[in-house]
Amino acid sequence: MQEIWLKISALPTGAVDSPLSYLFRVADMLMVDRFRSIRQAEKRDRDWTEINVGAEGGASPEPSAERRIAAAQEATRVLSMLDRLGPRVAAVFRRHRIDGVGQKQIAAEFGVSLSTVESDLRTAYRALSTWKERGDEV
Amino acid sequence: MANDDTTREQALDWAVRALDPAFEDWEGFSRWLEQDASHARAYDEVAGAVTEATELIAVAPANDDTVEEADAAPQVRSVARRRWLGGALAASIALVSGLALWHGSGRDLYRIETMAGQIHTIALDDGSRIDLAGGSAIELDRDDVRFARLEQGQALFTIRHDDADPFRVAVGENRLVDMGTVFDVRNDRTGLSVAVSEGAVQFNPDGENIRLSPGEMLKTHKDGGGYVVSPIASARVGEWREGRLTFTDAPLEQVAADLTRASGIVFVVARGSGGQPVSGSVLIAPLKDDPRTLGPLLGLAVHAEGDRWIIGAR
Repeated sequence: MQEIWLKISALPTGAVDSPLSYLFRVADMLMVDRFRSIRQAEKRDRDWTEINVGAEGGASPEPSAERRIAAAQEATRVLSMLDRLGPRVAAVFRRHRIDGVGQKQIAAEFGVSLSTVESDLRTAYRALSTWKERGDEV
Repeated sequence: MANDDTTREQALDWAVRALDPAFEDWEGFSRWLEQDASHARAYDEVAGAVTEATELIAVAPANDDTVEEADAAPQVRSVARRRWLGGALAASIALVSGLALWHGSGRDLYRIETMAGQIHTIALDDGSRIDLAGGSAIELDRDDVRFARLEQGQALFTIRHDDADPFRVAVGENRLVDMGTVFDVRNDRTGLSVAVSEGAVQFNPDGENIRLSPGEMLKTHKDGGGYVVSPIASARVGEWREGRLTFTDAPLEQVAADLTRASGIVFVVARGSGGQPVSGSVLIAPLKDDPRTLGPLLGLAVHAEGDRWIIGAR
């Protein structure tokens, strides 16, 4: 399992505009990442023992192909789920998460208020966490 | 239960705010996380789901020639394809140069190269996939989809295995033969390394003939002086694709080279600080915003010198 080292004591105060903000951002992403790795490992362990007991030498001929197709289908499901939330919600989500554009700028681009953008993202995030919960139960 | 719902609503609020690049209220966010252990979990669930969905959409493979896929869900595939091309993401992983070259030995090779800081995904006709890291070059054969030559840099191979026609990778004089399915190859100043996360790889079947299993990594020395096989966490194999690098007792030289390749920012080791090995995990995206964040993360001194960033022991 991956380890994380954070040496906050060695923070160079004044070296960047808001070093704490950067550090928090990094730490936040690492923690979410770690959470997901653990989740995945747990799930993999389950799948492994269910499916691959006795597989010779760990060599599995076809797993990635199946997984790849499953991922493509899952991506399509996610996209159509987002589309069903409304065209603006889907577009705002894409602009923010995939293109990495800030919420303020998105509000300007779409000609809506910042709180509308926030509420659109909230709608999308809610749908996604429900999607994920359901997926984990299967 | 009502409590759970409140927590979830709050987690949604924080996720919307904290995932925005302009977010600054980390103190308030930390306070909320510390209030109750369930808060962190609720936040992780939301942020994890959002991140996963984003990755899923972003890397949805644009393969158009997989038989099984066509059979299983034809309309699914075409939708994914359209989205993929429509997204601005397509531009961000744009191929830098695809220069046709003809090399001897009867192969009709063409070359794909990435600039530092880029990742390029190549979908092969047989359903296999190659993810090419930044600052790397690979040659593929127009007539033989089961062959690749990694000239320099790093690539993650996700190969559809075929016993009758195994996939072969050439790296210098070395030959790798896949026994199925996912492995990472890198070729740089420090030598060749091969790490396997799924299936197995045969190293130099006509020579050393080493079989590498999942969780194993083989390293050679550049001057041809033998090889070492060591364990590696499978989750770490190819993690650079997700914009993350992990170092375990790595020499500074390697840290600098890897960071340069992944970020497109030039990192150089400070004179006189060679020996100290570095351990830690780094996300590339924040590093691109400000290379100085590397300092506290890896316990290094970092300063700019023109366009370059000098890293060294504190």
